Amino acid sequence: MSLPLSIPLWLPVAAAFAGLLLPGVATRALTILGAALTFVWSLWAIADFDRAVHGLQNVTDELWISQLGIHYKLGIDGLNLFLIALTAFLWLICAIWAARKAWGTGHKDKLFFFFFALAESAVLGALMAQDLALFILFFDLMLIPFLFIGGIWGPEGTRVPAMLKLFIYTLVGSLLMLAAAIATGVMAADQSGGALSFALSDLRQNVLPKGSQDWIFLFFAAAFLVKMPMFPLHGWMPDGYRTIPLPALAVFSGVLSKVAAYGFLRIVVSLYPDASVHFQDLMLILALCSILYGSAMAFTTTETRLILGYSSVAQLGFIVLGVFALNGDGAQGAIFQMINHGLVVAPAFVVVAYLAGRAGGSEDLRDMGGIAFRAPVLAALFLIVTFATLAMPGSANFAGEFLILLGAFQHSIAIAAIASIGVILASVYALRFFVRAVQNRVGPEVASRELSLTEGLVLVPLVGMILFFAVYPQLALHRGEATITRSVQPAAALIDAPPATEASAK
Amino acid sequence: MSPTTAAWLALAFPLAGTIINALLYRTGRTSRLTGYVGTAALALSFAFAIVAFLSLQGRDPEHRQIVSTLYDYAVTGSIDARMAILVDPLSVLMLLVVTGVSMLIHLYSVAYMGGDRGYARFFAYLNFFVFSMLLLVLASNFVLLVIGWAFVTAASTLLISFWYRRQTATRAGVKSFVINVLGDIGIILGTFFILRHTGTLDFLGTFAQAQELGAQHQADLTAGLILLLVGAFAKSAQIPLHTWLPDAMEGPTPVSALIHAATMVTAGVYLIARMHPLFEQSATAANVGAIVGVVTLLVAATIGLVVTDLKRIIAYSTMSQIGYMIMAVSTGAYVAGMFHLMTHAFFKALLFMAAGSVISAMGGEQNLDRMRGFRKAMPFTYGCFVIGGLALAGIPPFSGFFSKDEILLVQAQIGGWHWILYVVGYLAAFLTAIYTWRMIFRAFWGEPNEQARELEHGHLWHAPQPTNPATGEVEDTDVGFPGPEHHIAEREGPMKLAMGTLAFLATIGGIVLIPKTTTWLDDFLEPTFANSSVVHHASNGKLWLGLALGAALGLAGIFIAYKIWATGDGRAALHLRERLAGVHRLFVNKWYFDEIIGWLIVRPASWFGRFAQQTFERIVVNGVFVGGSTGVVRAGSAAVRALQSGFLRAYAALLLVGAAAVILYFLLQS
Amino acid sequence: MSITWYLCLSALVFSLGAAGVLTRRNPLVVLLCLELMLNAGNLALVAFSRMWGNGDGQVFAIIVMVVAACEVAIGLGLVVAIFRRRLPVDVDELRELHG
Repeated sequence: MSLPLSIPLWLPVAAAFAGLLLPGVATRALTILGAALTFVWSLWAIADFDRAVHGLQNVTDELWISQLGIHYKLGIDGLNLFLIALTAFLWLICAIWAARKAWGTGHKDKLFFFFFALAESAVLGALMAQDLALFILFFDLMLIPFLFIGGIWGPEGTRVPAMLKLFIYTLVGSLLMLAAAIATGVMAADQSGGALSFALSDLRQNVLPKGSQDWIFLFFAAAFLVKMPMFPLHGWMPDGYRTIPLPALAVFSGVLSKVAAYGFLRIVVSLYPDASVHFQDLMLILALCSILYGSAMAFTTTETRLILGYSSVAQLGFIVLGVFALNGDGAQGAIFQMINHGLVVAPAFVVVAYLAGRAGGSEDLRDMGGIAFRAPVLAALFLIVTFATLAMPGSANFAGEFLILLGAFQHSIAIAAIASIGVILASVYALRFFVRAVQNRVGPEVASRELSLTEGLVLVPLVGMILFFAVYPQLALHRGEATITRSVQPAAALIDAPPATEASAK
Repeated sequence: MSPTTAAWLALAFPLAGTIINALLYRTGRTSRLTGYVGTAALALSFAFAIVAFLSLQGRDPEHRQIVSTLYDYAVTGSIDARMAILVDPLSVLMLLVVTGVSMLIHLYSVAYMGGDRGYARFFAYLNFFVFSMLLLVLASNFVLLVIGWAFVTAASTLLISFWYRRQTATRAGVKSFVINVLGDIGIILGTFFILRHTGTLDFLGTFAQAQELGAQHQADLTAGLILLLVGAFAKSAQIPLHTWLPDAMEGPTPVSALIHAATMVTAGVYLIARMHPLFEQSATAANVGAIVGVVTLLVAATIGLVVTDLKRIIAYSTMSQIGYMIMAVSTGAYVAGMFHLMTHAFFKALLFMAAGSVISAMGGEQNLDRMRGFRKAMPFTYGCFVIGGLALAGIPPFSGFFSKDEILLVQAQIGGWHWILYVVGYLAAFLTAIYTWRMIFRAFWGEPNEQARELEHGHLWHAPQPTNPATGEVEDTDVGFPGPEHHIAEREGPMKLAMGTLAFLATIGGIVLIPKTTTWLDDFLEPTFANSSVVHHASNGKLWLGLALGAALGLAGIFIAYKIWATGDGRAALHLRERLAGVHRLFVNKWYFDEIIGWLIVRPASWFGRFAQQTFERIVVNGVFVGGSTGVVRAGSAAVRALQSGFLRAYAALLLVGAAAVILYFLLQS
Repeated sequence: MSITWYLCLSALVFSLGAAGVLTRRNPLVVLLCLELMLNAGNLALVAFSRMWGNGDGQVFAIIVMVVAACEVAIGLGLVVAIFRRRLPVDVDELRELHG
């Protein structure tokens, strides 16, 4: 027995909408309740997940717009199971975090929570969607609440131009993607002679000719690379990160970028295998550039938000590296790393907020320092986050990175070697952040305060989750294995097809 | 109890100690509770190590390699990493050395770190370090090995930057971490090379295929092993990845004794010994190890001659001694290498402890130039230092004498170009004796200085204002560390006990493998190295030559040091320095390794970072991409906006023209 | 009588109306001209209706009249509002809504 997926999908926004109509604190309570129930459901979905089924589980499939062949089709498999759980978890924690603050008076305050919950539903929708058109709908929908959140609650003066830039820039990518998606549907229908359908399962039946795959691939890649963001399309990131308030930024950075990376695996690699193989080297090189460039930027900037932003650019470089290794190991590492990175970057933003609260409100590294002595618990939790960020062996991030590097290694030794430079650079920027933020001399306006109980309520569960996956990564790896390997199978087969290049490890 | 149960327990206690100490961090500054908790955890761990040892000895020699799996850590795709330990004589030997020496160092720290306000934190870190080290030596597959390897790095970094208000300390911590991450990468990539052909991460599974690997995939095997060596070199401070070790002396002295002398830095030696079935299949990789080892042992010894920081002299000496061990295990002298690892752990930990006592007496000052005449003021410390110095210089019958000669004897036995290793090894042994005794004569002999005189009168000297010995910067007294109090061995029972035990072990440690007399260590390690194809049987002539040469060179070195620094006031050394100014400059600047690495790696990296930050980001990323796409959108919307003129009649005209165009189109179509 | 004549007349009236809309600047006259265009359309609809012999066209014509009546009501209301606010009675001057 299982719950229809629509219920957890729409629950957060429904709860927040109900909260909008009720007075006072009820908005917060209902938003948190909605997120909490969704999270509980996601835990149950993990427990209930059947490894033996090779395909979607718990499918909802309705024909939504029959003339256009658009289905309202949702489903869970190894690819999105843990990403859904990650989304539900991070939203719950960040909703609690956001509930500690006032976001203006009256309706303005309530509106924040509505947007926040709307974003959760949109992200869950994008992850669950098994129809190309539905995916694009949710994919574009999920950005809109953040535009409002940044535009209304961002820092005075710069918020509107920054959000406008973000909006236009990502919209260009989305438009390209829309065009590519329509072309995919129409051409697939032409080819098969059947009715128009955007359901991924139908599209997978008709592999497009190589020539059209190529441009469609590029359009999709542009959209996803912008959204992630990846070098060199990350231009919106610094302003966007400066503008979005921290609780929203934590989920934005923790989850939204992953949806794009997930899109590569769910849609691009499985629908356009020829093009994926064709552009494999291009994507790998972009990934390497992202890793090196993001790391270099992260260890030169002093804005803590941007350290995390650029480190995300580098980490997403690793994820793309795993995806476009086009083999089971790489893809599995990539999916696992998406979860890990989300679990790491969210507490890092929490820490940034706490540190800024102790450094007189400044988020600049130069104004921080020296609080470890009087705030040992905060420093210890931050230390764990730091080590996880730099993917120290023993953390789940290491397990992910190990698989990604192994996948890259199986494709090309040189690429794996260059990518591992990124691991070294990661240790430089992560430790630099830690040392300068909590060690060394006390900053000019720093007031050392230990983690308070309510602060701990937000940070401790996040760190606890990091530790859990560090000790037992197998939980996620094991469940995802079958589906993830299958999603890159068509492309992997194409690579192996020309006179068996190198015998695989076995 | 089975050996694996005992080993799991030995692994568990330090972890438990870490957690308990972390929870006890609020204990007051005078309480030594956490120190004793940490020490007790280690004592229990050591006890279970002994249990594991005894129970392993109770089994048949063929069944002394046992794997015990707890759960699947990451078994998916082409990897099979399990949470599993491998208990065999090699890992049990390491277990014994690590837990035993660590226990003594914990005991020493109970007193030595007293008064430091980071006391509980210190013991939490120290326990965590031991846990990591045990994880490293017990790991039964590559992934767990890397995990232990990195945990050790992390613990070491935390302890180096223990006094984190000092920028010098945090910088040294980061440096050590980054270099060791490079080592991790080496091991990971090396593992990939091997995994690709064996299909398993498990050690025993890999070793079973060693022969096949060597025969069919020689190139990949060699590449993989050289990458593993990168890891070993980084951790064991071998050239050119050694530059972090001298800087690591920023940490408290017990840390230097535990991590940077006795245990962590020998991990590289352990790694090569553990991988011996693979190294035996690739002569190239083994030779790389031997050559780097011999270069390091000589270079480090030459630097040790001229450095004036007491702890750094011992640090360079450590580098040099590990060079011997790396050379040994790379040339098939596994037992000799492990033997030297063990004796070195004893006498080097002892030397560091004694040095810590002297530094305390100097009020935190580490510069050898300021020390003088502590012989009468600190008889116990002096005695320990002498025993350590004799063992390090290789004077019979102290432990270092037997272990060092054993290594060099194997080189003589192999012959060929290994004679070069032999000669360099003895040359460095001679230098070792000189620099070790230079320390002893300069610190303990001669006219007592101010601090020593005060101590003779029963006062422990304290600096009027605490300063960072590295920079002279005034300490941040806000947090009270390093602690305002200093502790010397003469006054603290725990320190005395720990140093006394180590002095005893350093004296008699050689007993486990005395040529022609005892073969205990050989017999014990036999099951691990049973399948080794490298067997050495030394001839009597070479054996006696080596022993005589070692003793003679050691004594000669001590005699020269005596002549120069004990009776000659060091004037001869100054004279020599003027004569060989170029060489002296090379040594004092540590052969310019820091500068070379700075030029080759650090500067380009920071230049790249600045370039990306200041130029590329602005012009290309924000200019071309963001500016380009938003520019196109804005230009398009501006064009459309221009049509909205507000002239009603213009709109009407457009409407008409549009309608007319549509009609015309359909008319032409039909 | 042939349908052509009706259509020619309708086209003529429509063109007159269109020309008036494009050239006159007084909103009242513009509304008058619009009315001409609509009725030209009505004429054509009624003519077609007669040609086919069914009432569909006439129904359309009646609907168009209703729409025209609404439009005149709103249009005249706007003109009155413009007068009341003492704004220029000239469609070229009334261009606040330009982009």
